Amino acid sequence: MKGILRIAAGHLFTAFRERVTLFWFLIFPLFLLTILTLIFGNMGQEGEISFAISVVNLESNTAGPVDFAAIVEGVFEETGTASEEGKEPLFTLTHPSDGEDLEEFLAREKEALRLGHRAAVIVIPEGFNQELLERMMRSGSSPSENGAFTIYINEGNAASEMATSIIEQILSGIDRQFLAHVGRFQEEEAIPSETLWVGSGGEELSYVDFLLPGVILMGFFVNGLFGVPGSILFARDRRVLRRYWVTPLTVPRYLAGFSLGHLTLCLIQFALIFMLARFAFRATITFAEPMPILFLLLGAITFLTFGFFIASVAKTANAGMAIANILNMPMMFLGGLFFPIGGLPTFLKVIVYANPVTYLAEGLRMSLGIQGETFSIPLTLAVPVGWIAFCIFVASKRLSWDVKR
Amino acid sequence: MRAFQALLHTEYTVFLRDKASLTFTFLFPLIFILIFGFLMRGMGDVEDARLGLFVPAGVESKILERTVSSAGSMSVTRYDDQPSLQAALEKRTIDFGLIWDGTKLLFLYDSSRVQENYAFEEVATGITADFNLAHQGLSPALTVEKIHVGREAATDWFNLVVPGILAFSILSAGLFAVSGHITAMKERKLLDRMIVTPMRPIALLAAIICVRLAVVYISTLITLFIAMTVLKLTFAVDWFRYTVFVATSTLGMMGFGTLIALLVRKPSSASNIAHILSIVMMFLAGIYFPIEIMPSYLRTLSKALPLTYMAEALRYATGVIDMTETRFWGITVAMFALAVVLLPLLARYVVSADRR
Repeated sequence: MKGILRIAAGHLFTAFRERVTLFWFLIFPLFLLTILTLIFGNMGQEGEISFAISVVNLESNTAGPVDFAAIVEGVFEETGTASEEGKEPLFTLTHPSDGEDLEEFLAREKEALRLGHRAAVIVIPEGFNQELLERMMRSGSSPSENGAFTIYINEGNAASEMATSIIEQILSGIDRQFLAHVGRFQEEEAIPSETLWVGSGGEELSYVDFLLPGVILMGFFVNGLFGVPGSILFARDRRVLRRYWVTPLTVPRYLAGFSLGHLTLCLIQFALIFMLARFAFRATITFAEPMPILFLLLGAITFLTFGFFIASVAKTANAGMAIANILNMPMMFLGGLFFPIGGLPTFLKVIVYANPVTYLAEGLRMSLGIQGETFSIPLTLAVPVGWIAFCIFVASKRLSWDVKR
Repeated sequence: MRAFQALLHTEYTVFLRDKASLTFTFLFPLIFILIFGFLMRGMGDVEDARLGLFVPAGVESKILERTVSSAGSMSVTRYDDQPSLQAALEKRTIDFGLIWDGTKLLFLYDSSRVQENYAFEEVATGITADFNLAHQGLSPALTVEKIHVGREAATDWFNLVVPGILAFSILSAGLFAVSGHITAMKERKLLDRMIVTPMRPIALLAAIICVRLAVVYISTLITLFIAMTVLKLTFAVDWFRYTVFVATSTLGMMGFGTLIALLVRKPSSASNIAHILSIVMMFLAGIYFPIEIMPSYLRTLSKALPLTYMAEALRYATGVIDMTETRFWGITVAMFALAVVLLPLLARYVVSADRR
């Protein structure tokens, strides 16, 4: 037992002495958690997104009963002011300079849109007030084929499509107000809409709660994929292992010590990532239940044996690192750790379904109650167990513990 | 000149022998296109969204069905009860659900789809607005005509992503090329032997740069070719601007790479720094998603990153977006200036024996 513990401690100390190990096993997961949470944490929320647009009001006839054009322009002007202090306005509006001809301004704004400096240009045409009044009076009897508005968009700019979608929502709200104003729409008969969140205790899940299990598994994955074959193969190539074998230490005891050290490293990794998520990004999920712990343990063991598998198929340490590098990206990103994998084409889905990361990520999220059952729990356990059995079988047949003479 | 030729030949041979570098240079851009392209393609896109609908027996639903069918190209599946609709949502057979009981519209979302729900919620808002009008026998008065301004090639998501990935591969190849190579030579004590010869430090750097420059250019061409043949994308490439920009931006990034080589001793440390820089830039430079969705401080940071401008310039050179000539050449000259300033300045310090 003493020998096993010493091997475990040796593995742990070596990992901490190596800057590369520290970087990939500890710093990189923490860094990834931070950057992804900062980017996607508030995605699509008002106050966090902002688009540069312009509204060109060409309506000159303001003598009618209601100046609809001015109201529409005013609504967009309001969106140019932040709803709360410290937040960003939804739109940053550009206005014509004093005395500037509106047609010239429109041409300038269209050019800015073409060059990607604007997300959209809204044009309220001449005669809009009269046209809108007529449209409202005949609303429902003959749906208009032509647009009352023109929105210039640039499909080469993804921000343009997002801004247009928001503009359409705003216009739809204005439309309803106008129709109510002229007595066509009855507000008291309006149909309300409600939202029901399915899964995660009936509440909207925060991005960091979604991301955290993925980053923890990624840490274990990188640890197993690079750390295990790296440690074994470099020790073998540098003839460190050969020195072990002249002592009473046996391969099974070495493996037990190595695995214990590896799992301890995973535990430290888990603790650091969890604390960052909890205290810096206010993650609320807790792993203190039997099933999440089982999945975490299963993940650590699966990736440990996967490391043995790579060590057994690589002839040298450098070859092992090259294999790990090639497998790293497809397995990590096609396992659903960070991004949804539902819309992938068939040829990539093959990797998704063969990938143990997929089942571990789904199983861990399901056991944490933040995701519905996309796979059955037995399947999410069986596939990683199958991989463990396969990897141990290959490693037991092929893994060489000494350099070939 | 003969020394330079000899170094050039050596560097070429070394690169061809280095299978790992070959793999990274040629295979990685393709992996990035396939994995990230397909993963992030549908993010925020509700064109092909799947809606599950449940209307209890006896409730009039024709108006709702008409409204939903006119809300876009979504597919609609009807369910017989709420539990089966919720089960489908949890199994991700559908993207979001709608229940109409004759008094209110209840939209159901899978809480774990945190990156996509905001887009489904937007569709739901549209359906609610249109249904409310239709329910009172009205149609929208404020209709919109959308007119596209800009190049036609820019209408596919991949058209935008591919030049971004090309820019990213130039960035990472440039950062790794000099830093990784020089630090590896230092670690193996190869530089110790070389600097006692009459070789000029800049000659060695120039040889590394020439070989990697050619490799990066060929790599971008292969990626572009595969994007055009496999993904059936169309690019109106301006070959003159494309070639000039790939060359100058690779040189500029090699300048940055030299800075890394100056700061660290080990190839692994150089690789780590280059990795961190590449990943930060990949997420923040608007390669896969618009920078407008980020918080303002990240948007400001994005504007300080060279990759943001590299992606923009390559999108222009491949005919995807428009840009003023002044801006394009401004970016190109800035990249070239980085190389011209950093490479000769740092050469003598970087190409030196490791005595620390």
